[in-house]
Amino acid sequence: MKCGFCAREIPDLPPKGQERCGACPGGCRKVHCPHCGYANPLIPGWFRRNPRREGDPNQE
Amino acid sequence: MATGNIHEVNPKIILVGNPNVGKSVLFNALTGAYTTVSNYPGTSVEVSSGHCELGGRRYQVLDTPGMYALLPITEEERVARALLLEERARVVVHVVDGRNLERMLPMTLQLIEAGLPVVLVVNILDEAERLGMDIDIALLGEKLGIPVVGAATAHKRGLKEIRGILADYVEADRPVFAYASDLERDIMRVAATLGGDYILDRRALALLLLQKDEEVLEIVRKAEGSRAGVVEEAVKEVIFDRRVDLHLSISLERRRVCQGVLAGVIRQQAGMRTPFAERLSTWTMNPWTGFPLLLLVLYFGIYQFVGNFGAGILVDFLERGLFEGQLNPWAIQLGHQYLPWSWLEELLVGEYGIFTLAVRYAVAIILPIVGTFFLAFSVIEDTGYFPRLAMLVDRLFKYIGLNGRAVIPMVLGFGCDTMATMVTRTLETVRERIIATVLLSLAIPCSAQLGVILGLLSGVPGALAVWSLCITLIFLVIGFLAARVVPGERPMFYMEIPPLRLPQLRNVLVKTLTRMQWYFLEIFPLFVFASVLLWAGKMSGALEWLVSVMRPAMLGLGLPPETATVFVLGFFRRDFGAAGLYDMQTGGLLNGLQLTVAAVTLTLFVPCVAQFLMMKKERGWPMALAIFGFVTGVAFGFGWFLNRVLLVSGVLS
Repeated sequence: MKCGFCAREIPDLPPKGQERCGACPGGCRKVHCPHCGYANPLIPGWFRRNPRREGDPNQE
Repeated sequence: MATGNIHEVNPKIILVGNPNVGKSVLFNALTGAYTTVSNYPGTSVEVSSGHCELGGRRYQVLDTPGMYALLPITEEERVARALLLEERARVVVHVVDGRNLERMLPMTLQLIEAGLPVVLVVNILDEAERLGMDIDIALLGEKLGIPVVGAATAHKRGLKEIRGILADYVEADRPVFAYASDLERDIMRVAATLGGDYILDRRALALLLLQKDEEVLEIVRKAEGSRAGVVEEAVKEVIFDRRVDLHLSISLERRRVCQGVLAGVIRQQAGMRTPFAERLSTWTMNPWTGFPLLLLVLYFGIYQFVGNFGAGILVDFLERGLFEGQLNPWAIQLGHQYLPWSWLEELLVGEYGIFTLAVRYAVAIILPIVGTFFLAFSVIEDTGYFPRLAMLVDRLFKYIGLNGRAVIPMVLGFGCDTMATMVTRTLETVRERIIATVLLSLAIPCSAQLGVILGLLSGVPGALAVWSLCITLIFLVIGFLAARVVPGERPMFYMEIPPLRLPQLRNVLVKTLTRMQWYFLEIFPLFVFASVLLWAGKMSGALEWLVSVMRPAMLGLGLPPETATVFVLGFFRRDFGAAGLYDMQTGGLLNGLQLTVAAVTLTLFVPCVAQFLMMKKERGWPMALAIFGFVTGVAFGFGWFLNRVLLVSGVLS
């Protein structure tokens, strides 16, 4: 997915071992952008779709 | 496709570039159907490999994961960089998006200065031309000193030229792009200590070492053996000498060189105006046009949509219509009829009952407000406005000891201050982190609190203006003073600006729903817990005692003593307290002046429990307690002062 702040491609899931703040009951639901630190919402599985189908025709 | 080995003996062509620039389209065009996909050893990152025949010779072609710079941050970038470091490519094909040449050229520069055999493919040229951009490919090649091809690989344009250049590629002397003399001196100081055998050029290695690249440091340690200490010492000295501006200097120098390279290369076609998105982008960052645009965004996005629609119409419908009109009377009657113990009745449907307070606050007051806030937030986020806001406020933030980078925690603070407090760790210096934490604790209301307060105050003429003025004033004054009191370094801010775009409906809805789900799951158990605690306080008399203890403070603020409960609620969560204020106002317990004073004090009041614990985690006990005491003092002190000023001046009376 794209980071909501710097618009760079970031992994859909937080990398293993990424530190959580531990403030949210029920676990962390955010992916911190490794480039700028912005906290992006962790998109639940049923909302995700194959990224190959989206974007303009020039995209990979 | 099948899995296979990427470490082959055939000469290699490695495709690199940002994500979504058409690398894979080019890879498929070069290799055809017979490709293999394998995980890079020790990672879950996939690397595609295939073969092609060029000029009668067989080549292995590797398609790397997207990367933004030679200095890796993500695992994908690490793999892409590792391939460049290990595979001794015959040609490295850097694919860039012609529409965003200025943003992507710095990586071309890094590849060239690394001494790699680079061919640049300016892709998506058809789209660039449609936007009126005329890119002089020949001139770009001349200036860069490497082969450059213009292409639109999705439409097979330029493929023949790319194949021709790859087949005939002969490595030539590469150009050197000089940085500022002081930076060059430091780079050479490190490069001169490198004596090992490396794939990358020593100058590039020195730059990566200065940017604290751990992997390159390991490679250098192995290659240098006993001399590694000399290299590390030189690196440490330069990093210490330039600790304030090293990263910024490197970024700015690359940007300067790229601007020089692109001068005369890109022309906007005559008769074709600069695209509206680009003009709008410029306006958002210019102070003369940017601040009025920001006010428009705040007025329509927050005040009208969240304040009037969310906190007004939706809350009216759910709270007054559904809960107060239908559900609560029914639940209270049911409890009265069937619950044999008064304590249980009180717990479930009493004054602080789980249903009558916690469920009502969470569903009827907070949910519609955060829902509309998150919708507005996601629309603004998806347009790419936030990085422009960072550039806009950078100058203003410098006066309060911060820079544009602090926009990230500040913006996130309007969603949740706890999360934003954690994000302050992305700020470069301790000084910035402390100032940002103080300002978040004091003057940045979270979304739910903001929505409730906007909804509350918009009904009292002038109240919202007084509240906004007070919060802005406190934010700037405390920030200004903190910048002068807190010692430390003052780094500069620089970031690449992504293109402005129309928000995509799917993105906006998915992000809004995800945030609402997260928020509801987080707050609901807390609301129930707070409700039970208040019930226990009421039953044991502790709440009455607490209200009597806080009575002088409330009277000092000119507020009824019962407002103490709101502040107790506010310490659990600010939005819970704001919802309590909403209840008091609708119950006729507060007039316009009292409401304004209470809203300002509550906004400035100590952070919620979760944020306090986060402050403790990020800044340690002494600093967290100091901020706690400071914020409480400022909140009540300013509340008292505001009450006096409003009473004397007659404003809002």
